[in-house]
Amino acid sequence: MKFVVKLVSAIIAMVSLAILVPPHKAQAASHYTIGTETTFVPYAIQGKDGTYNGKHPGIDMEILRAIAKNQHFTFDLKIMNFAAIVQALQSGQVDGNMAAMMVTPERQQTLDFSHTYLNAGLSLATKPGSSIKSYKDLKGKIVAVKTGSTSETYATSIQNKYGFTIHHLDSTNTEINDVTTGNADAAIDATLSLQYTIKNGMKLRLIGTQQNVHPVAFAVKKGENAALLQKFNKGLANIKKDGTYAKIMAYYTGAKAHTNANIATDRSYLGIIKANAPQFKAGITMTIKLTIVSIIIATIVGVFIGLFGVVPSRLLKGFHGVYTFIFRSIPVMVLSFFIYMGIPSLIGHKIPLFTAGVATLVLENSAYIASFVAGGIKSVDRGQMEASRSLGVTYLASMRKVIMPQAVRTMAPSFINQFIIALKGTSILSAIGLAEMTQQGTIIISQNMEGFKVWLIITAMYLVLIGCLTLLSDRVQKHYSLAN
Amino acid sequence: MLDEKIVIAKHIHKSFGDNEVLKDVSLSVHSGEVVVMIGPSGSGKSTFLRTLNGLETIDKGQVMVNGQLLYDKKVNLNQVRQNIGMVFQHFNLFPNMTILNNVIMAAISTKHFTPEKARQEAKKYLDMVDLSEKMNSYPAQLSGGQKQRVAIARALEMEPKIMLFDEPTSALDPEMVGDVLEVMQQLAQNGMTMIIVTHEMGFAKRVADRVVFFSDGMIQESGTPEEVFDRPASPRTQGFLERVLNV
Repeated sequence: MKFVVKLVSAIIAMVSLAILVPPHKAQAASHYTIGTETTFVPYAIQGKDGTYNGKHPGIDMEILRAIAKNQHFTFDLKIMNFAAIVQALQSGQVDGNMAAMMVTPERQQTLDFSHTYLNAGLSLATKPGSSIKSYKDLKGKIVAVKTGSTSETYATSIQNKYGFTIHHLDSTNTEINDVTTGNADAAIDATLSLQYTIKNGMKLRLIGTQQNVHPVAFAVKKGENAALLQKFNKGLANIKKDGTYAKIMAYYTGAKAHTNANIATDRSYLGIIKANAPQFKAGITMTIKLTIVSIIIATIVGVFIGLFGVVPSRLLKGFHGVYTFIFRSIPVMVLSFFIYMGIPSLIGHKIPLFTAGVATLVLENSAYIASFVAGGIKSVDRGQMEASRSLGVTYLASMRKVIMPQAVRTMAPSFINQFIIALKGTSILSAIGLAEMTQQGTIIISQNMEGFKVWLIITAMYLVLIGCLTLLSDRVQKHYSLAN
Repeated sequence: MLDEKIVIAKHIHKSFGDNEVLKDVSLSVHSGEVVVMIGPSGSGKSTFLRTLNGLETIDKGQVMVNGQLLYDKKVNLNQVRQNIGMVFQHFNLFPNMTILNNVIMAAISTKHFTPEKARQEAKKYLDMVDLSEKMNSYPAQLSGGQKQRVAIARALEMEPKIMLFDEPTSALDPEMVGDVLEVMQQLAQNGMTMIIVTHEMGFAKRVADRVVFFSDGMIQESGTPEEVFDRPASPRTQGFLERVLNV
């Protein structure tokens, strides 16, 4: 068993390394990688381009920015699902975590927290007309919460007392959408966040505010990055002293609080597309880039490993068998987590997000390609190889000139199929925060709450892309079969 | 003319699992000789033929072709095979290539000829089998008999010293058989060393210098066509010939 784990890790590490930008050793101590969440208003508000580089990126981002400036350090942001951030922190993918994280005893087991930068409590939210007036009315109802959040822990702790079921969702937006679409009867989330959403036009009613109050703080992995923690604390004290902190809090939570610019915009399909054009464009570009790079590398890797499956060598055949078994068996999402979160702790340095995404797709798709390449070659009549060898042609030349051209023709439909699967597979990488089409859709919805319309637009975009890919493949195939 | 032994197979043993298909088979063939191997299906004659160019592994024994030991680790099998043409029952033409490319592929790949020379020679051989007008067709567009004649031209292109034929007419419609046999007879008359596995008894009688009767993984009898067909010594040969000729 241990051997298998080692082998799998080694294979993944090898392939990852092969397409890895040369790993940079721990950079100058004044530069950090900080993990944060995909939009969690008003703590983190992603701009139209999917980044937090805008003027008003939310409380967390502004505080972090002010502290960094005050303490003279720089940082890169890694944006991912809330539940993934803690893992990223554990694996060393990020140095610190600025994600409106509440300090709880459980989290203190594995994380070191900074001084508190605000206190946050929870609220129950329902649709305005709902019959739910208090927690007592939740019997038999469904309550939506965000996976990994304090709300989830709280909901779980009172679940039996009030007799409701829990829906676990990956972000505040999907959780609120769950309530507005009627899938869930209520949601539990941070009061501040819910208030901000309501201010921005979401039709919700809060029941109780600031229940179950927890301090919110910046976190690092337990026992590590003490210097960063110290800088954060010092900077926090400084910006509290000089008024910066108060200014930020007033901006997002005051009576004349900031509202999201998306509110008053055109809500037609065309309006949504226009208003979010840069995000859609960035998503399409990323999806296409991921698909093309992955398809090319996966095809090369897959063809080679496919050949391993037919050459007269037990070692290579064995490798082929193990490789195809393992990577056809691991679910893509698990594989992406393993590469992005797991491998770094194994090899001791970070893996760039794009690289991790490509490695995931390459491993998965090359395993399928290797299978049908080997199958295609085996389907060529044995007499073909014999005839070629009987003429004195070498094994490799026979493969190249006689066997492969025949095998490729039977493989062509499988290749097209695999390319389509690879394209769709890119969407799963939104789980590790790759800003491709699906992820961009999530971000846009987090701002305008137009779940149905945005997903329809995203669906149409996938259909168009896959349509183009199919058309292109058909052309190539026709051209190829005409040549014969 | 019949002095130089070009093929020497000694004490060949070969099993597929528990089934011993060749039991101590020895055969020598002189340069220019035409040897026809007959016998019931599964008697081992095709397997034996395939050991003569290394398409089968053997368990015991020795095969020397053209002065080189085939089952010696040091020998370059690709090079030895360039001197041994082989024609298969199912033609095994390369469906992805034109007729011309079928014929010239090996010669170019092994650098036996330059591409221009290869094309020249191919035309010559395709002329010989009367198929030069099909040069740019693909195998799928040819009849079985035409395919087998292309396969012969393809083998000849490498200028082999020996030609092996593994039931070359068994997969053909009866009306196609004649054309293929005619080409083979012509080859024999030109002095090609040939070892042929076939069920065409008439052809064997007409063309063979020697007929070898295989049965049960062994050579039961061997001699001139007259000896084997008219005065078979072994009862097994007699039985086989009765069954085949009286159908």
